[in-house]
Amino acid sequence: MSRQHAPQLAGLVLVAFFAIFPFVYSANDYPYIMHLLITGFFYAILASSWSMLAGYAGQFSFGHMGFTGIGAYTTALFCHYIYISPEATNLCTEYAIGGQFLVFVNPIGVTSSTLTQDCLREALALWDGKVQVTPMPVWLGISLGTIMGGVFGLLIGFLVLPLRAAYLALFTLGFSEILRAAISAEIAITRGQAGIELPYLFDQGITLFGREFDKTDKLPPYFVMFGLLLTCLAILTWLARSKFGLFVRALREDQDAAAALGVNTTRYKVMVFVITSMMAAAAGAVMAHYIRIITPNNLMILQMSLVVAMAVIGGVENVFAAAIGAIIIEFTLELLRNSFEIGPVVVDMTIWRLVIFGIILMVTLRFSRNGIISPLINYFLRGHVAKETVAKRVAGGKSSETSS
Amino acid sequence: MINLVVKDLNKRFGGLHVLKDVSFEINGPELIGLIGPNGAGKTTLTNVLDGAIKPNSGTVYLNGERIDQLQPFEVAREGLGRTFQVTRSFRRMTVLENMLVPALALDHAHSRAEIVEKAMEVLEFLTIDHLRNEHAQALSGGQQKLLELGRLLMLNPAVIILDEPFAGVHPRLMEVIYRYIERVNESGSAIILISHQMDSIFSLCKRLLVLNYGDLIADGAPETVKNDPVVIEAYLGVDEEDDETHGTPEEEGATP
Amino acid sequence: MILWGVVGGLVTRRIYLHKDLDTSNSVFVGSMLGAATGPVGLAPLWIKTPEVNKHLMVWPAVGAVTLIAFAFAFADPSNNCVSNGSFVASQITNGIILGIIYGFMALGLTLIFSILGVVSFAHGEFYMIGGMVTYFVTSVWFPGIYPVVGIFAACLVTFALGAAFERMFLTPMYEGKIERPVEYGILVTFGLAFTLQYFIQATVGANPVKARRFFDFPRLRLPSAEDPWLIKTSRGNMELFDTVSISNPRFVAAVACVLVLLSLLYFLHRTWTGKALRAVSLDREAAAIAGINPDRMNMLAFALGGMIAALAGALLVQAFSWLPQVGAIPAMRSFVIIVLGGLGSLPGAFIGGIIVGLVEAAGTGCVPDAQKAASYIPAYGMIVLTLTLLLRPTGLLGRRFSGGAHGKF
Repeated sequence: MSRQHAPQLAGLVLVAFFAIFPFVYSANDYPYIMHLLITGFFYAILASSWSMLAGYAGQFSFGHMGFTGIGAYTTALFCHYIYISPEATNLCTEYAIGGQFLVFVNPIGVTSSTLTQDCLREALALWDGKVQVTPMPVWLGISLGTIMGGVFGLLIGFLVLPLRAAYLALFTLGFSEILRAAISAEIAITRGQAGIELPYLFDQGITLFGREFDKTDKLPPYFVMFGLLLTCLAILTWLARSKFGLFVRALREDQDAAAALGVNTTRYKVMVFVITSMMAAAAGAVMAHYIRIITPNNLMILQMSLVVAMAVIGGVENVFAAAIGAIIIEFTLELLRNSFEIGPVVVDMTIWRLVIFGIILMVTLRFSRNGIISPLINYFLRGHVAKETVAKRVAGGKSSETSS
Repeated sequence: MINLVVKDLNKRFGGLHVLKDVSFEINGPELIGLIGPNGAGKTTLTNVLDGAIKPNSGTVYLNGERIDQLQPFEVAREGLGRTFQVTRSFRRMTVLENMLVPALALDHAHSRAEIVEKAMEVLEFLTIDHLRNEHAQALSGGQQKLLELGRLLMLNPAVIILDEPFAGVHPRLMEVIYRYIERVNESGSAIILISHQMDSIFSLCKRLLVLNYGDLIADGAPETVKNDPVVIEAYLGVDEEDDETHGTPEEEGATP
Repeated sequence: MILWGVVGGLVTRRIYLHKDLDTSNSVFVGSMLGAATGPVGLAPLWIKTPEVNKHLMVWPAVGAVTLIAFAFAFADPSNNCVSNGSFVASQITNGIILGIIYGFMALGLTLIFSILGVVSFAHGEFYMIGGMVTYFVTSVWFPGIYPVVGIFAACLVTFALGAAFERMFLTPMYEGKIERPVEYGILVTFGLAFTLQYFIQATVGANPVKARRFFDFPRLRLPSAEDPWLIKTSRGNMELFDTVSISNPRFVAAVACVLVLLSLLYFLHRTWTGKALRAVSLDREAAAIAGINPDRMNMLAFALGGMIAALAGALLVQAFSWLPQVGAIPAMRSFVIIVLGGLGSLPGAFIGGIIVGLVEAAGTGCVPDAQKAASYIPAYGMIVLTLTLLLRPTGLLGRRFSGGAHGKF
């Protein structure tokens, strides 16, 4: 009995550990460790939502990073181009709303430094400090990013409805690549490879637990990301245990049979796309505000490979295993970063660690299809099943000879 | 009262005319055998009734509702269930979860505990209740067949189409399936039984439908059908009882 | 026009369905005819509902493409690819030449798919390694050696690599031990791609390399040295009719591809092993009964497929600068091509390659902003892919009734 509860207990301990950690830990590398953890949480959200999409629903989409990019770029563009001003600029496109003006800044790309100023900068120069414009609230940008992620998830979900396996993987990979191409190409709006800057998550600083935190402090974003991870995990667990989880797994196993049994396969397939892409978009938006610059390279296939590998090594059919796998791998990759020398040869571990990682991925797939962490959890949760079956068969005895 | 009206169904695959003006009617909880040589269109007919394939023309009404243009899941909700020729259990879900899928897809009135209770009752009847927490892939072929039958029962269907339920099943499990068919029939569902095993068909069914290359050539009591010269020529005269592989182009589940 | 295309596609399918006719190609015909002629062409189609034949499929498509081209020309008359005839000719020639190479590379992917039922996500990495090996053999280790040796070495390396990978990681797929083998194949080849790419980056570095030209054109002036309007060659370039200019490496690569393709066709159709390969792609079990070992054919197909990609890379390393990441775009393009050509169809892959080559040439040539046009290169292929999946999911030459998991998507 207690064995079945071990994973839950371990989970609680883990959550408590991460909640207390930033207050207890005080070594010199505090900011670095915090940064690693925030990044780890970010990947954990992606890996666990991807495991819902790929592991539970069987939709092997390689477009997950694309949704992250949609979330990040939506909030970036929103915060970058829209402001609220108490007075009309008479230069920009603007709409009066209750005495205030919603100002849309014209996109001028990367050439803004000296030659041309965008219309708001020009107006500010004219006002000469007499008028203060307010940027849009960050949380609104993040919510918008999440919604946009959902909208695109809906679109992609419908487009890929008739596609299976390889076609789906190709199409979603292509979607991600097109998005990257478009962002790199539309320099005037997205500033292309130069990347677009974002405001701090808490631009004014924030008071938490009776302590004032500066906008550059790591603790508030740590808890935002951690909270987002817990929220996502809670939603995913709830979904997995409800009939939603049952249906998407049935869908994965046999779409036609599920339909013949009354499951609206179209609806659940689209829904799982929408939900997981919203999670990816939310994570991307928060992460973008934390690292404060986003470039198209954030959508590279490498990033997608990392997410896939994290989920697979953790265990693609268990959202918790995928999340834990992501955090562990993020740390392992960082630990392996130090280059060393064997005689005259310098081994550049920044690259070699990825090679090792790839080999681990393949070997995990080959020999332990459910990843490394997920079997551990199953050992505790399902360990009793065989015993139970045998016991019941002995007790019942009536059909024991027919089982294989 | 169960009432299934199939009228003038036509289905073509390219140049192949697989169903030609097939019409029949089911009133009440009948137990009907559907037979015919390989490629006769039995599986296509099942797929059309189930909604997996849309007919080129013709209509299907179930209890007054038109179902021939509905999606398979809507047809299932209207009360028509079917099994597949090749067993299609949800292999990496437990036996109990397999049972819950149709129940939760349809039944919003009962609590989960009640549904589980009902599922356990069905599993017990099918003698596989001790396996409820095993993954379906751990079950033997015969047990998976039973599971598929049990799953279907969770739909509370008005009409059940069983596609080759006896193929490759151990005699002892066959008895269980016999009992299952009788029980389901007695509880008020109509059953269409597709099989090549003439003994079972003749001992169970009160009415036979015979398909031959898309044509419904006979519809009546087994004795009459047996002596129908057209049927004898088309089907019974040729011994194909042991043949369990089929070659219709629409065959589902030909996974290697 | 687009509106009529959509209307045509949707309504035609309905009408064909209603009239009890074969609907498989009606979407394609309807949308193309709608796009090309609008209601004028659609009305008789809907009234008469003729049987869809080749003429009805090809001509509306040609019409639609022409119409799009004209619409574009009227919308932007000053564009380089409207006003400049020689530019257009150049683009088309280059499109075809690159298309041949693309098609050749996609051939490897379709070969793997038709026999293993797996889409190899490591195809681009085989391409990259082929180029790298050739570069190292011909330019670093043995400068001055015959380029053929380098190409041969590339083939050898990738063939061995492909065979070894197949033995080590893909064998459990056939034994039925693995649920969802298709997804396993995708993930494990994805892992291979990741590993290979970073292995090369770790050993070679991330700086672009480029092999020297394999050989120079002979100096040719036709019809005469004074007035060479027919052909004029320099060492690295060839000019036809004073207008079309073709660079040497591409030309060499395309010619080599055609030669290898012919020998490949000979291999597949005339040798026992080739016939066995094709037999396995048609029906595994039947082939096994006929005494062919399907497992060995799997290994051969994967190795051969990888080798074909490597060959394409080896031929192109003299034309483009080479990076560890260079495989990503060609891999995507190969996917597009095999879907367009019809999964598992060898001639389809080739025709698809040429079409994609032309589309990319048109895309890069006709989009006004050159920098943007170059950034969007992967997008052109994806547009083709999306349209294919919407209009004709079986691809140009896809098998109609392909059974089993291979034909399903």
